[in-house]
Amino acid sequence: MDFELTQEQQLVRDSLERFVQDNYDLEARQSLAASKQGFSEQHWQQMAELGWLGLPFAESDGGFGGDAVDTMVVMEQFGRGLVLEPFLASVVLGGGALRRGGSATQRSTVLPGVIDGSQQLTLAYAEEQARFDLHDVTTTARAEGDGFVISGHKSMVPNAASASAFVVSARTSGGQIDTQGITLFLVPANAAGVTRDDFPTVDGLRASEISFDGVKVDRDSVIGAVDDGHALLSAVIDDGILAIAAEAVGAMEILYKDTVAYTQEREQFDHPLSDFQVVQHRLVEMFMEYEQVKSLLYRATLEAAQHAPTAQRTIHALKHLVGKTGTFIGENAVQLHGGMGMTEELRVGHYFKRLLVIDQQFGDADFHLQQFAA
Amino acid sequence: MDIELSTEDEAFRAEVRAFLDDNKFPGKGDYFTWRLEWFQRAKDKGGWDVPKWPVEFGGPGWTPTQHFIWEQETARGGPPVDAPFGPGMLAPVLMHYGNDEQRERFLPAIRARTVNWCQGYSEPGAGSDLAALKTKAELTEDGKHYLVNGTKIWTTIAHLADWIFCLTRTDDSGIKQQGITFLLIPMKQQGVEVKPIITLGGAHTVNMVHFTDVLVPVENRVGEEGQGWTYAKGLLQHERTGIAGISRSIVALEALKDKARSVKRGNGSLLDEPAFKTKVAALEADLLALEFTELRSLATAQAGSDPGPESSILKLKGTEIQQRIQKLTVEAGGIYSAAWGVTQPGPKFARGGMQGYLASRAYTIYGGASEVQKDVIAKNVLGLKQQAKR
Repeated sequence: MDFELTQEQQLVRDSLERFVQDNYDLEARQSLAASKQGFSEQHWQQMAELGWLGLPFAESDGGFGGDAVDTMVVMEQFGRGLVLEPFLASVVLGGGALRRGGSATQRSTVLPGVIDGSQQLTLAYAEEQARFDLHDVTTTARAEGDGFVISGHKSMVPNAASASAFVVSARTSGGQIDTQGITLFLVPANAAGVTRDDFPTVDGLRASEISFDGVKVDRDSVIGAVDDGHALLSAVIDDGILAIAAEAVGAMEILYKDTVAYTQEREQFDHPLSDFQVVQHRLVEMFMEYEQVKSLLYRATLEAAQHAPTAQRTIHALKHLVGKTGTFIGENAVQLHGGMGMTEELRVGHYFKRLLVIDQQFGDADFHLQQFAA
Repeated sequence: MDIELSTEDEAFRAEVRAFLDDNKFPGKGDYFTWRLEWFQRAKDKGGWDVPKWPVEFGGPGWTPTQHFIWEQETARGGPPVDAPFGPGMLAPVLMHYGNDEQRERFLPAIRARTVNWCQGYSEPGAGSDLAALKTKAELTEDGKHYLVNGTKIWTTIAHLADWIFCLTRTDDSGIKQQGITFLLIPMKQQGVEVKPIITLGGAHTVNMVHFTDVLVPVENRVGEEGQGWTYAKGLLQHERTGIAGISRSIVALEALKDKARSVKRGNGSLLDEPAFKTKVAALEADLLALEFTELRSLATAQAGSDPGPESSILKLKGTEIQQRIQKLTVEAGGIYSAAWGVTQPGPKFARGGMQGYLASRAYTIYGGASEVQKDVIAKNVLGLKQQAKR
């Protein structure tokens, strides 16, 4: 039994902590969020140079051969800083689809750019009618000549504006909600027939609606096997869930600790707020729930890293708890900060907003509880 | 026990409904002109522009049941926007504690909604513990003015207000509830500086207000020097109907169901999904109970008795229910609740849902945080002593 990080992982965590400390005070973060691109190209290059963008990729693909634990280490620290750079979109989701399902040619042509930061990817899978169901796909890819023609609409695609290519799920056969018949494609962002509508999200990140209007791609753009994309997509989404769960745990830690600190400073009725038992018990509950999510994060991440058959079910439990606890800790952090918690001036509100979005991302607390119970 | 309304009350409801229908905003033309005209027409109905004012000041003299009916009917929309600060908060203070000159000077414009007021109570160091306020008002040597210095915070619509009614400190030698003086201060003058505070939903409704050497004529003092605490707090206790926002929550719950119905799932909608449906149902059960808690409280008031213990829970339960409705709206919006751009993908209600939810987090903070409200109930209703000191 060992919950310690390896020496390499500790070194990476230390440099992540320093990065967040040096670059991500609230003011710097908010001005980056408001910038045209929404993140810093310079930070992105720094992340590439430090090797973070290559962590989960195989050494044969130019990466460092890390596993789910390495991604967890990165995302937890990113959560503590509310980091804006598109690590989730490019490395975990887009890059993850190629890592897991890409051909040797795809991996050798695309992944080096992902790892050195010169190219970004993202994953375009969501459709409005599907809500959180991965198998509900109306975007079609019709075989034509040597390739396919993709038509349809993808929604809430993270960081699409800065991506050079999208991993897109489309239906190559079967009915709208059939698990079979879904295929993943790598589509260049500048392909003819692709149009984007980019917008900010409430947590300061960026997303896009993307329309595919008769977009022609060749056969080499298929990731994995035709019609068999659902399992691959599902595995990539599980990676995404583990990543944002780690991010959430980092954010929750900041929220409960900031609240403990604030209630010790803020005096009302001639006492620090933390002198009042009702406040103390609330703080203890926030701390307890945080520790519980952290435990389940470790459990799910280790099971995933060891390819345990229980991993997917544990991931459902984790995402449920992340949503429920994120709301609980976020709401109470705001409540105990009083009016100040309601302002954009303190950081608690920003962490709270990120947790609210994380609850909805890849399926909310209810959705995953049902999957867990099924 | 009888929950049927009397024939008179039903007739009153019909009359209210007809008035609201006849005076809807036509959708075109200037909203603010229509707003002032609406209040004039409501006034002509016999004081419907100021339902809670006493008859001697032009109010309608409604029974508690009539007030309840008014709340129910207006919850569906109809009346123009109206800030509570002038007509709801300052006016009763002037009626009880002001002098004739002040009443003649201020009440007509408050009633006509032509002068906007804001409320200067909270300070950076005085939130839940409001009596700890420090904004200083010193009488000048000639005794004609107060010199005001200090800072107010969370001042709703201060940036739109013509006047502010303020709690200031004129004496700090006694206990903190003493030495507080109630002053009326024009906003548009040298020395009054308003700084916006942007809240989580991105909205600007609250502000910080700084006073630097602002001279306030003694005629603008309400009542006696040092008695401001009594004036400000005493009247707040009288508010009974409407504080839980139950009528509005009933309307909001119906709207939530419509929103969930608009989110299609297979052949049905989100409202058919067991997890969501069950949460909506649980909310509705609590709301049915709370509506009757308010009616019980109302019946006591109707009989002329002091409010029963049940009335103390109205604000706590009411705000909690409002927040739950907002949270479920965010959940109904799914991932689209995150979209924060000019064009809104997904369900039409999603962005408003997130804004509403974030704003709703303040409901359990302002006007006395829920934790403090519970302390008050423990002491005043359950008769418990202050918590043990360790």
